[in-house]
Amino acid sequence: MSAALDIKDIRAGYGAVNVLWDVSLSVEAGTTTAILGPNGAGKSTLLRAIMGLVTVSQGDIVVDSCARTGTSTWNMVNEGVVMVPEGRMVFRDMTVEDNLLMGAFPKRTRPRAQANLKTVYQRFPRLSERRRQLAGSLSGGEAQMLALGRGLMEEPRIFLVDEPSLGLAPVIVDEIFAGLRQLKEEGRTIVLVEQNTYKALSVADYVYLMQAGKIVMSQVAADVDVDHLHDLYFARKTGSEH
Amino acid sequence: MRANGILPAVAVIALYLLVPAALGHVDYVMSLIVAALTIGGIAVAWAMLGNLGGMVSFGHAAFFGVGAYVSALLTLDAGWPVFPAMLAGGAGAAIASVVTMPALRLRGPYFALSILAFAHIFRILATELESITRGAGGILSIPVLPTVAGFDLSSKIGSYYVILTIVLMAMAGYAWLRRSTVGLALLAMHDTEDATKVVGVPSTRLKAMMLALSAFITGVVGAFNAHQINFLDPDYAFSGLWTVLPIVAAIFGGYRTISGPLVGALVIYLVDQLVFKSFLPHGHEIILGALLVAMIVLSPTGLVPLVRQTVTLVRQTVTRGHHAAA
Repeated sequence: MSAALDIKDIRAGYGAVNVLWDVSLSVEAGTTTAILGPNGAGKSTLLRAIMGLVTVSQGDIVVDSCARTGTSTWNMVNEGVVMVPEGRMVFRDMTVEDNLLMGAFPKRTRPRAQANLKTVYQRFPRLSERRRQLAGSLSGGEAQMLALGRGLMEEPRIFLVDEPSLGLAPVIVDEIFAGLRQLKEEGRTIVLVEQNTYKALSVADYVYLMQAGKIVMSQVAADVDVDHLHDLYFARKTGSEH
Repeated sequence: MRANGILPAVAVIALYLLVPAALGHVDYVMSLIVAALTIGGIAVAWAMLGNLGGMVSFGHAAFFGVGAYVSALLTLDAGWPVFPAMLAGGAGAAIASVVTMPALRLRGPYFALSILAFAHIFRILATELESITRGAGGILSIPVLPTVAGFDLSSKIGSYYVILTIVLMAMAGYAWLRRSTVGLALLAMHDTEDATKVVGVPSTRLKAMMLALSAFITGVVGAFNAHQINFLDPDYAFSGLWTVLPIVAAIFGGYRTISGPLVGALVIYLVDQLVFKSFLPHGHEIILGALLVAMIVLSPTGLVPLVRQTVTLVRQTVTRGHHAAA
């Protein structure tokens, strides 16, 4: 299998502050890759760097064997690389339906906007009930569904999802992850950034752990020893005695 | 709901027929209305830029002045007819806006101030490039608006029709754009530009397009003004008043609405000139300032939304009264 997304030794950051230090990872088509790590590890910055929202100062981003480093955000979307941003970022003053239709802004997807809208409503019936409501009035879980739905309207080939569980009640988190698992079973390529390790491991095929802007571990999800992962996660000494 | 669709039509008919019929013979009032519409045209262009794209400009005088100069010089030195020259004035302002586009990298007050700086640069250029612009002495006897089908457009009523048509066309274009997909994307940009980028909106390109469009409209209005008063000099054409009055008008009238900037310009300018000026010949603008502050405190969204809310409230009370009676 060829890599859908290949990231080679990238450095990126905000102005004078560098966040990512020679990060490399590879995502195979049709798989779900989880990027785990504590706050400030650089997970979101990595996704933002892929999307061209953060300037990459070194290294390469390769999508389907084409170099895409420095490509503008909207052109990445046109290539089918779609991000669901951290904190949802729905358009609060617009209705749920207008939010979803904004997802169909790229010319590539516009002709199928109505069909895609129907699919999103089938997937998240709650959004269909609230289609005329302002997005700002949604609960956190509904807003997350809306953000996912908006992303799906963009017909992602590679779906980057940033902390979908952020600030949500456990029941809602289960619902969101059920949605992600369904997307995975449909054969989509997903890159999931999470702090909730158990949830992430339940859907991932492959796991990366980030710490202070670097990848400190990469493993097939099935082989991951959660205790060892948590030792790394909390920067405890490996095999520490209890 | 239906009444809302009829209201603009009634207003347009009133503006085209009733205003000239009622006031056409009072030259002084007519010329004040033409000046108010000139401010209103810039106010519409300014509010459009703020609403669709979230850019606040302190430098619309730059586009006004460039439009005026381009049109005046094309008619005088190149022998262009007035109307094509006015369109070229708008195009010239749009091209001038391209020079200011590096400022699009900046946000909020930084963008506003850099545009203000550009307005000053253009004024200095108009003063110093004497061989083209005739320098600080200004341009005299700029050709008047033409006579079309026996109707003298340079008369008070004629020029009223011209500027009214310019402003209404700008508003119609604005309304159409706001309903389009691109308009939706530009409105969305208000909240979070990153989120609009993430859904595939080429935000920088759209902002540049809006800036050019707003500059074009302002340039056409500037060109109209040049042919109406037949005189230009750099201090007049690039005067800060062409920036400040439209901003006051738009905020007073309601910059988030389509009709607000025009309504605001008519109210502010006419009340100022006809009422305040009569009892405070010097410094009457200070009352405008107080009025603007009062409006922002009373109704931050401006006059038009305030009137709409009041009308709805009255209607509800009336219907309730009917129900109670029945």
